[in-house]
Amino acid sequence: MPGAKLRLLPLPFDEIMRRHERELMRYLLRVAGNREDALDLFQETWLRAYRAYPRLEPESQVRPWLYAIAVNLCRNRARDSARRARVIVATPKDHSAADKLGRLDRRTCGNDGYAAIRFRELISALPERQRDALRLRYFSGLAYGEIAAIMHCSEENARANVSQALKKFKSM
Amino acid sequence: MPNEKLAELNAGQFSEETIDDLLRRSRRSFNNVLRSIRRPEAALGIVKSPLGDLLVAVGGHGLLLVHYLPADKELTALIARLRSFFDPVADPQTVQEVGAEVRKYLAGEAQALHQRIDLSLVTTSFQERVLHKLQEVPRGAVVSYQALGAVAGVPKGARAIGNAMHNNPVPIYVPCHRVIAADGRLGGYGGGRARKLQLLRSEGFALGKADEKLPDGVVWGHKGTRIFCRTDCRTAARVDRTKIMFFADPGEAKHAGLRPCKICRPA
Repeated sequence: MPGAKLRLLPLPFDEIMRRHERELMRYLLRVAGNREDALDLFQETWLRAYRAYPRLEPESQVRPWLYAIAVNLCRNRARDSARRARVIVATPKDHSAADKLGRLDRRTCGNDGYAAIRFRELISALPERQRDALRLRYFSGLAYGEIAAIMHCSEENARANVSQALKKFKSM
Repeated sequence: MPNEKLAELNAGQFSEETIDDLLRRSRRSFNNVLRSIRRPEAALGIVKSPLGDLLVAVGGHGLLLVHYLPADKELTALIARLRSFFDPVADPQTVQEVGAEVRKYLAGEAQALHQRIDLSLVTTSFQERVLHKLQEVPRGAVVSYQALGAVAGVPKGARAIGNAMHNNPVPIYVPCHRVIAADGRLGGYGGGRARKLQLLRSEGFALGKADEKLPDGVVWGHKGTRIFCRTDCRTAARVDRTKIMFFADPGEAKHAGLRPCKICRPA
């Protein structure tokens, strides 16, 4: 059969959800730092994933595809809320990068401890690509190859982004 | 993780119970949201037939697609296009039923195809109407693009009919192989001329492998008068070409409820 070597059917969407929802929720909790935002990001990621599902080729890897959607969404959200925060809260006194995310109050951080808040402050001060790479590497333990696929760069580039992020981290 | 700052990560970890709780909360509301934007599901698979391998899709409302299997690259593009209309699922049994029916039909063991047809992959209402009208052309008969156009309400739209045939999502089942040029030449076919000839041959037309025209034995029948004639009948000059249909032989015409002409006596 000529079509036999070609995989005809993608993984059913429900199966993708079943396999990855826990992992994705864990990742988003650590990115967002609180339950409400994580829940919101989680649902939006799956909605976007379903819309993009027809373009997911049967042979391609599901994990990088899904993370790419989540990462892009998180980045856009962070930008949006930074923009919004700048308009509404016009108090340029404390301009730590963490404030740009607008949600690093201890009360809203669920069971996040103080250390985690400080950590999040540090991580959000990193340049965008380095931050994304670092999160993917250490929040979800993805391989560099997967990070490269998510961020549309080479594996070396992904590795470099993570190591530069770590270097900055240590110097902070 | 060598750095102690990174070790702080663990302090910010959420417990598995938190994740469980959030997943539960999410499912409750989210499944409804997802259901409302869900595409329909359809069984998708490849079946064997004497016409070559066929890509077949069957949805909840019937047969959506029969496609002569293209090369892998084209197939990938085709499936990508289809997936914006439905989510393919593996259901070999449903798909194989179509294959079995097509094989039987081509072997002459079955006189008709019975699968319910769902034309929802057709994008324009005109093309849908044309394909509906085309289903009235019986086995053992052919019409011209022109005549089909007249029936569908576009007497000058033979080209438009050609396009509708080209966009027919369910060839064999909606018999676009039964549409030919008005002068008796066989015209083209999406799956290639050889397949059109093979289909028409299995439906009773005495066609050779390389024939360009309908064979001499055919008769034409008039839809209004319900009379059928030999192609060389002297009434041919007067007849409205948009109202005729060609039958493989007098038997097929009689079977369709027509009577022989008293002038040319075809049977």
